[in-house]
Amino acid sequence: MKKTMLGVTAFAAAGAIALAGCSSPGETEPTAAASESAATAGGAEDITLWLMGTDTPEALIDYLKTTYTEENGGALTVEQIGWGDAIASLTTALPDSANTPDVTEVGNTQSATFTTVGAFLDISDMYEELGGDSLLQGFVEAGSVGDTKYALPYYFGSRLTWFRKDLYEQGGVEVPTTLAEVTEVNASLKDQGIAGMYVPGQDWRDGISWIFANGGEIATFDGETWTSALATPESVEGMRQWQELFETASVAKVTDDDSTAYQAINDDFLQGTPAATTMAPNWAYWSLGDLAENDEGEQVATWNDKKFGAYVLPGVDGGTAPVFAGGSNIGISAATENVEGSKTLMRIIFSEEYQTMLAENGLGPANLDYADTYTEVAAMGDLALEAASSAKLTPAAPGWAAIEEAKLMEQYFAAVAQGGDIESLAVEYDAKLNDLING
Amino acid sequence: MTTTAPAPGTLEAPAAPASRPKRRRSPLPYILATPAIIALLAGMGYPLIWQVWNSFREYGLAQQFGQAPEFVGLDNYIELLTGSEFWGVLAKSVVFMAVTAGATMVLGIGLALLMKHIAGWARITLQVAMLLAWAMPIVAQMTVWNWLIDDRNGVLNYLLSLLPGVDMIGHDWLESPLSFFAVASVIITWASVPFVALSVYAGLTQVSDDVVEAAQLDGAGGFQMLRRITLPILRPILVILLLLQMIWDLRVYAQIELLQGFGAAGTQYDLLGTYIYGLGIGQGHFGVAAAAAMLVMLFTIALSWFYVRELLKEDAQ
Amino acid sequence: MTTTSLPARRKPRRSPMRHIGAGVALVLAVAWAFPVYWMVNSSFLSVTTITALTPTWVPFGGTLANYKNVLQGSTGFTDALLMSLGVTGVALVICIVFAFLGALAISRFRFRGRKALVLAIILVQMLPAEAMFIAQYQMISGLGLLNTLAGVSIIYVAMVVPFTMWMLRGFVAGVPADLEEAAMIDGCSRFGAFMRVTFPLLAPGLVASGVFAFLQVWNEFALASIILTSEQQETLPLWLRNFAQPSSLGMLEWGQVMAGSTLVAVPVIVFFLIVQQRMTQGLVGGAVKG
Repeated sequence: MKKTMLGVTAFAAAGAIALAGCSSPGETEPTAAASESAATAGGAEDITLWLMGTDTPEALIDYLKTTYTEENGGALTVEQIGWGDAIASLTTALPDSANTPDVTEVGNTQSATFTTVGAFLDISDMYEELGGDSLLQGFVEAGSVGDTKYALPYYFGSRLTWFRKDLYEQGGVEVPTTLAEVTEVNASLKDQGIAGMYVPGQDWRDGISWIFANGGEIATFDGETWTSALATPESVEGMRQWQELFETASVAKVTDDDSTAYQAINDDFLQGTPAATTMAPNWAYWSLGDLAENDEGEQVATWNDKKFGAYVLPGVDGGTAPVFAGGSNIGISAATENVEGSKTLMRIIFSEEYQTMLAENGLGPANLDYADTYTEVAAMGDLALEAASSAKLTPAAPGWAAIEEAKLMEQYFAAVAQGGDIESLAVEYDAKLNDLING
Repeated sequence: MTTTAPAPGTLEAPAAPASRPKRRRSPLPYILATPAIIALLAGMGYPLIWQVWNSFREYGLAQQFGQAPEFVGLDNYIELLTGSEFWGVLAKSVVFMAVTAGATMVLGIGLALLMKHIAGWARITLQVAMLLAWAMPIVAQMTVWNWLIDDRNGVLNYLLSLLPGVDMIGHDWLESPLSFFAVASVIITWASVPFVALSVYAGLTQVSDDVVEAAQLDGAGGFQMLRRITLPILRPILVILLLLQMIWDLRVYAQIELLQGFGAAGTQYDLLGTYIYGLGIGQGHFGVAAAAAMLVMLFTIALSWFYVRELLKEDAQ
Repeated sequence: MTTTSLPARRKPRRSPMRHIGAGVALVLAVAWAFPVYWMVNSSFLSVTTITALTPTWVPFGGTLANYKNVLQGSTGFTDALLMSLGVTGVALVICIVFAFLGALAISRFRFRGRKALVLAIILVQMLPAEAMFIAQYQMISGLGLLNTLAGVSIIYVAMVVPFTMWMLRGFVAGVPADLEEAAMIDGCSRFGAFMRVTFPLLAPGLVASGVFAFLQVWNEFALASIILTSEQQETLPLWLRNFAQPSSLGMLEWGQVMAGSTLVAVPVIVFFLIVQQRMTQGLVGGAVKG
């Protein structure tokens, strides 16, 4: 009984999506349902915001709470959901009007999965007000179904290549200007026994740049269905180069993933050969540098411009290689009973003030009008923006979250890192991706 | 341990004979059973019906968000049974279960026999050590073992590297699936042996010394004693222990899930528990996951049929 | 650690076997206790000591800083401990009472539906729980009990009752009904006879079954992670799982993680030490009767 009720709510809110075979009697227009509940609630609404992981700093959370109470009168509760529990929590709670977060962040790679099933409220009517075409378009697409906007970008980050100036100097190598030189430079350092590059075997989020740089794609969309594209000649060539990088230059292992790539080039992070190069989002700035204990006995890193540096991953013929854009989307749950409060919160999040605060904390603002602030105030902001200009996203396919959950990309990259035959592996994983990618 | 054997017929199991249930037309048994039945229905009733029902329906993420689920008959089952993935995971789980449950039983029985034949102080030391291992909460167990086998600072790699010509520093034990499952098996065996050993030992103390001495006088050898006297008395315990280990090791979830969190992840490293979780919550294929759970239950029943049948037979008396 | 059996009347034999046996037992004891020891040892070591190339075998001059950080910081350990104690306490008491009554019914009486009940409690244990999480969430949410002790307890009781009942059934069957009848002839009421004669004999069995129920509830985290989404309502396993994630500086602070693990394990070890004597007795009479 409970379930049918939920079903109706979600259905009504899903609006634009045609749902065949549903004979529910409660087919009300979403706007009607929305304004009704707003009218009955009238005024102060206590709402809940879910943030994923701990990327949003405490100060920003406090700002959201205070501002929300000022504008709405109700209280804002913010809960941080670990990335590991994200899918389970969203799957169970979002359809449940009694317990859904009113507004929730969702990883950009998971957006498509939830928007296509109608988990989010249609906010096309707010789109212009919240920034319109100034919003990062790649992310907007990931949160849209056709022209209907469900989840908008929250923040972005782009991946930079971080390096150790002192180790590069010691090995007599220069900052590379082509993708091939990245391999050469690091292989040379490794041959000399000085250092290597931290290339975790499961780290497809960074490794994917080699596919992109060679003109390959993870998957293509023909307007109806998604098809995995790992076995195209471009993608295979990209993986071949990445395999060479792993085999000749990596000091990371096959089972390593990107969770520790943030700090791989700090002193004493690795035993034996240290890492001179690593790839990580631009906010890794705060985790890199000279290590010392602070007053509370915790280890903190202080950036040291003499020892540490960053560059944008170069393309095959110089220029910039497309990197995978990190970041997330944010939307209003279709099952919320506090539509007005949720919309107020969205307005606060997309306000100039909050967007600037994101930028100041090194998180790329969703609204590119504030990107100037970002390049000025954010660490490595100029480089990050340069990288972001050519950044790409994972396929906005309904089944992408399932692929991530099954860790297929991790397995593919790890198998290649182990020295497997790329062409046959690519065919094998194309088949596995195709099984899941269309939901 | 040189002893003599008595005529087996003269031996009497020291355990008190089980009381024969009474035939009565009284409401009392129903009253007594009601709370347990209510608790079961309250916690499992709806989920169980949901599961059986949805194993015959197309129930995915879209349905979770309100689309009407469609009946698809046996499609979910057919999808699982005709694909290779389910069979692969099932086979892996069965091998894992056989190895782990086997090792646990052998070690447990061995330790129990050892405890029976050593001085009190040594036995108590061993028992305390095993109680400590048994008392470790699973998350703590897994965290500690992960620390022991840590590639960089783990004590295991350090000790192995002390051997001449061996350099294991930096070796990742969770890298290859085989090594991953071996580690999981060792940890689970380590954690399960105490229960088996202490139970079997408790059973061994039931073998009264009079019987043993009588047997010794009759000239029974150590092996004969074991086979003719000890094992028959222990049989009921061993059957149950084996059954429990089989059920637990076949549907192991927590340890594998935690180990995947520490190191490698992906379907290659799945056993049935994590596989079903991944199908359902992970990929949103709740109908298929429900069907997989039903298949696993049927399989477990088939596997433990020897016990269920014995139980029903005993009941029918 | 003693048993209920007759004292050993083994003839003193100067067998070298016994010495070898004792030696083997000691080696095995070390093997089984080592992970536990290592956890405690590491929990007293500072970051620099713990990441040194040579392990520190005994924490001489160790530090309490790790414990301080766990207990004083905003790690939420105390909240999680209280939550775990609450959930386990409630679920355990209800489970033992219900399962005990149920075990009496199926082992002392013969009634219509008995066989179905016995089969049901066995089959339920063979069902993987992982596919039912969504339904369990829906149910608990429908009752408005998400993020509450009552919510998890409902599911936990149902999760442990079958096994507890099954185990207790063996214990109850092991106490001959004749004893009770004899007491009744001596003038006791049926209930009085039960309380005076049968119940004391069952105590070890109740303890042994209780230990299993306790362990199952105390260890559970998968369902808890779905039903208890709020950070304030975490149970200890959830807490430790999140605590053992690498910090934002990437390195896992193993000393702190081991201090956390030790604190999670201590209540269980204490519990085991309190009940161990009865538990060992319980094992004697327990599963034996199948």
